Amino acid sequence: MDTPQPASSAGVHGVTEGECDQLACDYAMGLLDAAAMEVCTARLHDDTLFAASVEAWRRRLGELDVTAPEIALEPSLWTRIESSLGAPKVATRKTSQQRMGERLAAGWSSVVWWRSFGLAAAAASLLLAIGLGYIAQRAAQAPVLVAVLLSDERHPAGLVNVFRDGRTDFVALQAIRAPEGKSLQLWTLWDRARGPVSVGLMQELHNAALRLDGLPGTTADQLFEVTLEPEGGSPTGRPTGPILMKGNAGRTEGGA
Amino acid sequence: MTGVALRMLRRRDLADEVVHDTFLRVWENAGSYDAGRGEPQSWVFAILRYRALSVLRSEGRIDLVGDVSSFETIDEGADAEAALAALSERGALRCCLDRLEPQRRQAIILAYIKGLTHGELAGRLGVPLGTAKAWIRRSLQALRECMA
Repeated sequence: MDTPQPASSAGVHGVTEGECDQLACDYAMGLLDAAAMEVCTARLHDDTLFAASVEAWRRRLGELDVTAPEIALEPSLWTRIESSLGAPKVATRKTSQQRMGERLAAGWSSVVWWRSFGLAAAAASLLLAIGLGYIAQRAAQAPVLVAVLLSDERHPAGLVNVFRDGRTDFVALQAIRAPEGKSLQLWTLWDRARGPVSVGLMQELHNAALRLDGLPGTTADQLFEVTLEPEGGSPTGRPTGPILMKGNAGRTEGGA
Repeated sequence: MTGVALRMLRRRDLADEVVHDTFLRVWENAGSYDAGRGEPQSWVFAILRYRALSVLRSEGRIDLVGDVSSFETIDEGADAEAALAALSERGALRCCLDRLEPQRRQAIILAYIKGLTHGELAGRLGVPLGTAKAWIRRSLQALRECMA
């Protein structure tokens, strides 16, 4: 551009928004040389303004990708992709974590979506099967213990994941909100002599990290439950209200 | 996907290589894919184009040109026309590209679908590098304003 850009606020890298967008445009277009391309790729990770500009340009220009002639992939290439993805390692085991992984990957499971890349349906589903197993396997690597908390009607309402490093998190599977003046309290019981210990308090069921510091490491069969308590938590330090959901920790194959 | 890579690289073996690498990248990063940062489709194509551009910009480039350069211009013009024709007539990109002067419109399309650099575009357009850069920049800015 021969006329100067309107110099607005200087960005993270000390350049104006106009310059930043210009670079984002050249990068998305593919006009840059190899060295500049590398620099930009690295910058995507730590400069959100730049990343957003690049994304906006990709959206503007993306229609051009779909204008390429459709060419089916050679079966031999599928075979190669399959073996590169480590297909033999994708086991047939199915843990609850794996099913979670599949749900997380639901967006990927649309054959229609894959078809937009010019993939034949059969090939796409083959790759999908491999890919889902692969993603799920990675997801399953982490937790060593999982407790599925069931409601009265035996519906899964929450999930407790215990990781190898002791990190424990709660995943809400149902939308439950405590009524006015009440709270939801999460407990764990690993020693009947000591009784349940509070590990979390919430108004509404949501994903959260649980505070298990100072407690012995979680073991198989350890009980987790959520009860309805007065606002701010049980006054006695023990569960006093109805149990909304409960479940025992089970060892995953990753934790076996 | 192969079509996009082949249009840029013009060699099936290289295009296949790029598609292969793209799938690996996609599966490796699918877990960390952040839907908030963009459409999955544009994400996958961005990975694909980036891989193809890396091949284009590497030493392999020498093998790609060679004896086809004599009829390259004709081929490219036809490719650019085909790409334009394949764009949805009611799409914003098509409308805005149509507003550009034909030679500059072709330059933009070629830059994108062939992965040409400023220098290569200057050669195709028969103008000095600085002029080519300014043309491209101005055309892309017009495109952005038009599509806003």
